[in-house]
Amino acid sequence: MTMSKSEELQAGQRRLGSFSLASLRDYMLLVILAAIWCFFYVATDGIFLMPRNLVLLALQTSIVSLAAISAVMLIVTRNFDLSVGSAVALVGVVVALLSGQYDVQPIIAVAAAILVGLLMGAWQGFWVTRIGVSSFIVTLAGMLYFRGLSMIVTNGATIASLPRPLTRFATAFLPPLPSILLVIATAGGFLLLRWWEIRRAHQLGVVAKPQSLFVKTLIPVIVATGITLFIVSWQGMPWLVLLVAFCALAAELVMRRTRYGAQLYAIGGNPEAARLAGINIKRVIFWNFVIAGLAYGITGVALTARVGGAVAGSAGLFLELDAIAAAIIGGTALSGGRGRILGALVGALLMGSLNNGMSLMNVAPFFQDTVRGAVLLLAVALDHLSRSRARSK
Amino acid sequence: MNATDTREDERAARTDPPVLVAGNLTKQFPGVTAVDDVSLTIKRGEIVALLGQNGAGKSTLIQIIAGLHPAGSFAGEIRLSGKPYQAGSVAEAEAAGVALVPQEINVAPEMTVAENLYLNAEPQLWGFLDQPLRLTRAGKALRDFGLAIDPALPMKALDLATQQLALIARALSKKVALLILDEPTAALTEGEAQRLFDRMRFLAARGMAIIFVTHRLAEVFAVSTRIVIMRDGRICGTHATSDVTRSQVVTEMVGHAVASTERARQPVRRGAALTVEGLKVFDTDDPARLRVRDLSLSLAQGEILGLFGLVGSGCIEAAVALYGAWPGSWEGAITLDGSPVNLDNPTISVASGMGFMAQDRRDCLMPDHAVHDNIILASLERLSATGFSDDARARRTTLDLVRDLAVRTRSIESPVGTLSGGNQQKVQVARWLSAQARILILVDPTRGVDIGARGEIKRIWARLSEEGRSILIASTDAEELVDICDRVIVLRGGEPVAEIGRDELTEERILGVAAGV
Repeated sequence: MTMSKSEELQAGQRRLGSFSLASLRDYMLLVILAAIWCFFYVATDGIFLMPRNLVLLALQTSIVSLAAISAVMLIVTRNFDLSVGSAVALVGVVVALLSGQYDVQPIIAVAAAILVGLLMGAWQGFWVTRIGVSSFIVTLAGMLYFRGLSMIVTNGATIASLPRPLTRFATAFLPPLPSILLVIATAGGFLLLRWWEIRRAHQLGVVAKPQSLFVKTLIPVIVATGITLFIVSWQGMPWLVLLVAFCALAAELVMRRTRYGAQLYAIGGNPEAARLAGINIKRVIFWNFVIAGLAYGITGVALTARVGGAVAGSAGLFLELDAIAAAIIGGTALSGGRGRILGALVGALLMGSLNNGMSLMNVAPFFQDTVRGAVLLLAVALDHLSRSRARSK
Repeated sequence: MNATDTREDERAARTDPPVLVAGNLTKQFPGVTAVDDVSLTIKRGEIVALLGQNGAGKSTLIQIIAGLHPAGSFAGEIRLSGKPYQAGSVAEAEAAGVALVPQEINVAPEMTVAENLYLNAEPQLWGFLDQPLRLTRAGKALRDFGLAIDPALPMKALDLATQQLALIARALSKKVALLILDEPTAALTEGEAQRLFDRMRFLAARGMAIIFVTHRLAEVFAVSTRIVIMRDGRICGTHATSDVTRSQVVTEMVGHAVASTERARQPVRRGAALTVEGLKVFDTDDPARLRVRDLSLSLAQGEILGLFGLVGSGCIEAAVALYGAWPGSWEGAITLDGSPVNLDNPTISVASGMGFMAQDRRDCLMPDHAVHDNIILASLERLSATGFSDDARARRTTLDLVRDLAVRTRSIESPVGTLSGGNQQKVQVARWLSAQARILILVDPTRGVDIGARGEIKRIWARLSEEGRSILIASTDAEELVDICDRVIVLRGGEPVAEIGRDELTEERILGVAAGV
């Protein structure tokens, strides 16, 4: 039984619909997040959900979110990056040294720091693709010597004399009015692109009912825009959060709408199949690490600016683990081939909410770690169970 | 062995119940009856050669006997030396006296020979491993089998053939009444095979019953006492080896012709799409060993060329190397449309208009990914020329191909792993059509595909060749080639031994040449 025309169209529609509409299991993650938020809302007498705290939460989550974006892209191709935390510390040392001690223009210092990040990524990509050492080992080594290098360069001392433009970037807000306009413009632009895409699919006969498909996109976008507007109306949008949003959208675009992204998913889905289909795996993976290097640069600068200095010994400590946890909670498969950037952001937000909420409740730090570990395990187990049920259906 | 012993053995053979009595065995898999009402009796001291084409049910039958399919998953009854025999696992089968040496050699290469021989059967002393005892026992088992191997060596230090012999020695170190060897000589050289046959005769003379599966007729007539031929899940012939000729055996293996896929002859022979001169393919582990010795061929536009050979003949390795996907080293001069090319990796091959289907489908498909994603895998360059993917156009392409090739799937978003074997193969065809490949290299392309879908897929080959595409099918299954190929090159021992044109193309003919009749 070949598919009839209408069945065929429905089939296409189902898939296109699931692009921006949260799929069922992303939904599950949001339900867990909502449950946690409700709990903290009650437990903190409403403080947790005040715009002020939500902005704080977004700021606290921003560094992990940036690292999680590149973690997803690597895990999708079955690679791991254990060096993020140390690499970020080294980038921080570079930017702090240049701008704080050698009085280099902040913008040049930032550019140099990002260049250093890219080189670190390319260096690790070289070892993985040309020499053939597993990424786990390469980045485990990187975790040690990047940290070691930053300690050597600074002699273990903290560099705290950052120029004002840099620290301002981490603390300043885009004022409410421009923020609101920006949010609306972004949402509008996204919907416009979506509409163009759906219309084209309709013209090519891939989608039968473009209107209903568009409405399915519209609803979550409106909800998300509404929530964002509520939050930014208080004091505007922090630049740091804007940076996270920009990086996430760019990465999502690469993953879902470019050939390179399709190749990443294919390699993770079955490396041998990808090889036999003519995909140059080494080149793709090499650039995968270069992109991770870009993330080192951006995350390193952001973290240094936020902390107000470079602390070689402790900056970004355990960041790699938090990033991987966020990616996994967000539905990225450790076995590769499956993972979404937006899911990882929700994962990071979930972990961040636990920290933030428990701090508001004055829970001792030891308990916080215990709870986070338990939630990580539960969230991933729940995801796994719902997925295996969906498959057996 | 003196005369008295022999007489006692003969008397024992007369009075003892047969080693194996299998009655009305039937085993069904979804959509196919692999073993269909098979009854088989094997006496002490017999060496039974089990013959049949790929998919005839030989493997399933020996798997049932060796406990790989637990009792209850098949119908019928088995008695072993007169006692009811219901093995739930390989371990239980071995305990009851049935040992199987599988075709594929599965060893832990880093572990020692002794460790491999007693895997999961380690001798213990107070709950701890008894290393000295293990070494002693392994040494004895190997010596008994005439193998001078130090059991403390790592397994990877042995060549493939010796590994195989060591595994047979392992099977024999237990108290075995029935030994089953699945293609035991596939990896062995002539001399090594002779040594194995000597051991088999010796063991049979001591009263052991042996079933061995092989494709090589010369071996069958050299060592077996009885021949059992299977076809389509049934036993279609049982002969004393001395009573039949090779050609009779081949005829029975092939049986009646399956509904053929007649295809129009290529009237005009056009230019060569692909040629290769002096192809040599080296073994990946042992570069001194040649898998393909010297192969030259020319594939015309619109031609379907078969490359036939038994397991180990090199026909599959040759196809993989021609696509540039051989993991080891190889040499040979390849031209595409007359101009020399350097096919170092599949990226170049795909860019030059080639397509490939591997022997194992799982190597080519992403099982958890959608049919759509699998189809566009090789045409990402074309469907996203700017770097950004044109999703709507890609889906249009997929939907057209799915309809055109009649791929049976619920939707193009279904994971490809949920499709039947034949439809998974069609997805691969769609992939290469989407990539606009002009030359297709296919390895065992209808393996594990049921008989109905086979015909359908063969008609697709015929259509593609009429459209001017060239197809090279490398296969170890004669049935796959005869009614579709314009020409078949038969390989034996890594070398071409015959080229058979369409007029003379029959299963008997190419099987006979490949087996060295």
